[in-house]
Amino acid sequence: MTERKSPTAVLREGPRALSDAQVREIEDSSLEQVLNVDIDDVIEYVHKDLRSLPDFTTLYRKYLKQRWDVYDLDFTQDKIDWEEKMTEEERQSFIAVASGFHHGERQVEIELPVFMIGASEEEKLHIAAQIEDEARHTVFFDRFYREVVGLKGDDIMDILDASFPWVSETFVAPFGLLAYQADELRLHPYDERARVRYGTNYFLWIEGVLALSVMKVTLSYARWRGFLPAYYTGFTATCRDESRHVQGGMRYLQDAVRKDPTMIKEIHDTLRTILSVSGVVSRRIYYEPLGWTDDEVRALFFLQLRRKLNDVGIGLSPDLEDLLEKVQPVLAGG
Amino acid sequence: MAAEFFSKEWADAVRDALTAGPDERARAVKLQEYWDFFDWIKSVYPASWALGCRDLPGLGGPAYLFVQWSGGAVTDCRIIGPDDPLQATYVLGMDYRDWKALHDGYDAQRTVMYRKIMLEQGDLLEFFKAIYFFVESLAVIGAAPAAYP
Repeated sequence: MTERKSPTAVLREGPRALSDAQVREIEDSSLEQVLNVDIDDVIEYVHKDLRSLPDFTTLYRKYLKQRWDVYDLDFTQDKIDWEEKMTEEERQSFIAVASGFHHGERQVEIELPVFMIGASEEEKLHIAAQIEDEARHTVFFDRFYREVVGLKGDDIMDILDASFPWVSETFVAPFGLLAYQADELRLHPYDERARVRYGTNYFLWIEGVLALSVMKVTLSYARWRGFLPAYYTGFTATCRDESRHVQGGMRYLQDAVRKDPTMIKEIHDTLRTILSVSGVVSRRIYYEPLGWTDDEVRALFFLQLRRKLNDVGIGLSPDLEDLLEKVQPVLAGG
Repeated sequence: MAAEFFSKEWADAVRDALTAGPDERARAVKLQEYWDFFDWIKSVYPASWALGCRDLPGLGGPAYLFVQWSGGAVTDCRIIGPDDPLQATYVLGMDYRDWKALHDGYDAQRTVMYRKIMLEQGDLLEFFKAIYFFVESLAVIGAAPAAYP
């Protein structure tokens, strides 16, 4: 177990080097042992394999080893921490961030099946596993909101309805786009260009950039303060699952561009749309009680985007570089 | 008395509401920079929408609300019947029950995200560059007084 650093240390220190022992700890930890894994190591682990991406069968075998039971988590201590130790400001900031995941996990679960239709047989195994992962993550948040936050409802949609007021209006940009892209694939499941556009939004932007960045915010807070052990355990295990999803998604995009270099246009066009709207915020999320500023979170987004593009060898066109410069916050002293 | 849903009078009321934009109550709960972006898109938006109701009661096929934007205002807003020619930059479709739910207060963002309204024709990536403008406008349309058959 590594030293506990401040939540934003990674922004200043840059990428970490993982030892073989740390990689083994991440890959082989049981659900109980995940509590001891550092979230920054898991996020670094995502990038470890991006330069030589694993094939889909390897990812499926990893899934079989790393699958965890969401009903094994015990939220008793989390409820005590939530009600008695966290301040109202911390709770409000936490829930504003977590609600994006509560709805995001549901969205990526239901929009993925159509992508499987046009995939290779090996990739189908990986996607089937990913759909099961996302369903489990949806249940994880459902349990957290019921058992820790205290939302009431008869079914999963009731709890989603209850947490929706915390979801920002700008959530519709990546997730509405994903819904419409899924519908495009429903009509044309073998349209490789539509699949690359979908993959760029789902695997690169939503999972590789948004999810991994914002996961870090609540997880580094929980680790830093020593609160919410079941949340930390389940969501770090979720992050380990996401590492397989991002690696599989990057593998898909890399293969698509190698097979047909003109596919880079589909990636660029999708990023152009995403970046056009991603600099806009509709409500201020106060990350400060969790140890972050709004600009630091957004800086983390763009750090994640650049690293993934560099690692898989996808360059940006000059106009996208300009767009990225415009929407990327400059961190004082960062 | 409210105009009948998908009537000429309703389309006229929608035109005025869209040109006026979201009211102060809607604006007050979101940041000014979000509305600045919305207002900028609105001022330069050159496209048209055909917003369909797939199963309007009493009609044999889909009807559409056609909305043409130019110079920050709605320059044309009318109902297109099932037998009329359909030409718009973006054609979208929604079931009658979801139109009614939107009118009854269902969230416009989730109307898009849960695929209650779907893009049937048009460039998807271009459409999403103005998605906040579209969602806020959809909420305005939903809030326009209407009598549902």
